Amino acid sequence: MAGVESISHSGICVHDLKAAEDFYCKILGATVHSRVNFKTQDALRGRSVHTSLMLDDYLFAVMLTEDWMDVPPPETLRGENRVRHAFCVPKGRFGGILDQLRAGGVPFEGPVSHPQHGPFGESVYFRDPTGNFLEVLWRRDEDAIYNEVQPLGHGGGG
Amino acid sequence: MALNGAFSHLVVECSDLERSEAFYRDVIGLDVLGRNLVADNRPNSLLAMNTRQRLLLVEVDDVPSYPASGGSIHHAWLLTIEQFKQARDRLEATGYESGIDPRQSFRAVGEYNMDIHDPDGNRFQIQAFGEEGTEALRSGTGTVVMGHIDDFPVGSVTPYRKGRFFLVREDAGFLAISSWCTHKNGITIWQKESWHFYCPFHGAKFDRTGCYHGRMGCAPMRLNPVQVDGAGRVVVDTDRFFAREAYGPEQAVPARPGAQFDPAGLTELPARDEKETRESARMEG
Repeated sequence: MAGVESISHSGICVHDLKAAEDFYCKILGATVHSRVNFKTQDALRGRSVHTSLMLDDYLFAVMLTEDWMDVPPPETLRGENRVRHAFCVPKGRFGGILDQLRAGGVPFEGPVSHPQHGPFGESVYFRDPTGNFLEVLWRRDEDAIYNEVQPLGHGGGG
Repeated sequence: MALNGAFSHLVVECSDLERSEAFYRDVIGLDVLGRNLVADNRPNSLLAMNTRQRLLLVEVDDVPSYPASGGSIHHAWLLTIEQFKQARDRLEATGYESGIDPRQSFRAVGEYNMDIHDPDGNRFQIQAFGEEGTEALRSGTGTVVMGHIDDFPVGSVTPYRKGRFFLVREDAGFLAISSWCTHKNGITIWQKESWHFYCPFHGAKFDRTGCYHGRMGCAPMRLNPVQVDGAGRVVVDTDRFFAREAYGPEQAVPARPGAQFDPAGLTELPARDEKETRESARMEG
């Protein structure tokens, strides 16, 4: 057994909070969990303005800060720029996800098939409007029994 | 549309696969599943958590630098309390400083956190949540005499920080609303300009009667019993807590001498001492 259950959330930085919210919510189906530090007094106190989004069982604290990094050129669809977040869907839904990315005008790379001896099946790669890298895949171990991912303990305040 | 799936894995670039694999195995506590299990022409290693989630390390020539102001970009491991203690021991055994939490004052009761950077500077939180994070906590202030009923006009919300409650005057009478957030025992504040209680720890919002509005699924804020004594003074018992499913005007204690709190339909909760809980958490965490 590992000494860790899961990753509960990530803080990512974006250039445009509205564009990020639209992308994650309207294209990927995330929901707004909470909006943090949107009040004038928060800004005056230097608190980071961010929206917490739930994408499936994962929380992104999407922050509008100056901490964002240099972004690879837009034609680079598969990459990390330090990290990439990957979401799995049932194999039967994978084709539908590709259709939905196309319908949303999201360019992607793939599908790429993974080795038979590994747990992953096929992946597609794309990025959010800022350039944060994302992946959707189906997994060969989708019927395996693992510990359940527990609801996150917080709303993304850090 | 929605993905209708789940988080699968985090891909992390590293400059030295051997070194990072050892870090995530020996310090963080992941299980190494194997090398080159994915379609990637760079050296890579897949590591497992106990859920379906995975970490994929890929070795690259240059890991991009964070800006000097960087710090917002982070990821959070979720551990059980027992795993958290083991992680703290591993950190100490491997020479990392444990117990480092730059936002300690921001944590709710029962929320344990350590911050750690991987060998390439990626910031991770190591988090766990104890059961005391959802339990009622006594402030130790006992019974509090707040003042005369005429001192509190209808619509007023009067915080009593030491006693961890808000005295709310409704048309129907008085509510003493415990200021502990029912999400994870953060301490809420009254945001008068927005007419709601707000928990700065995790962002939960509750209306003036203590009912939650949002997607976090929080129960209504708990009530402390109120009575109005024969002289018309409002008295709050901070040692007792009652849970409720929703607000009803019968929960308010009428603003007249002799009026008593009616617990019908409410559930009294066991409570533990806040100070002892915090001290115990400091020793454990």
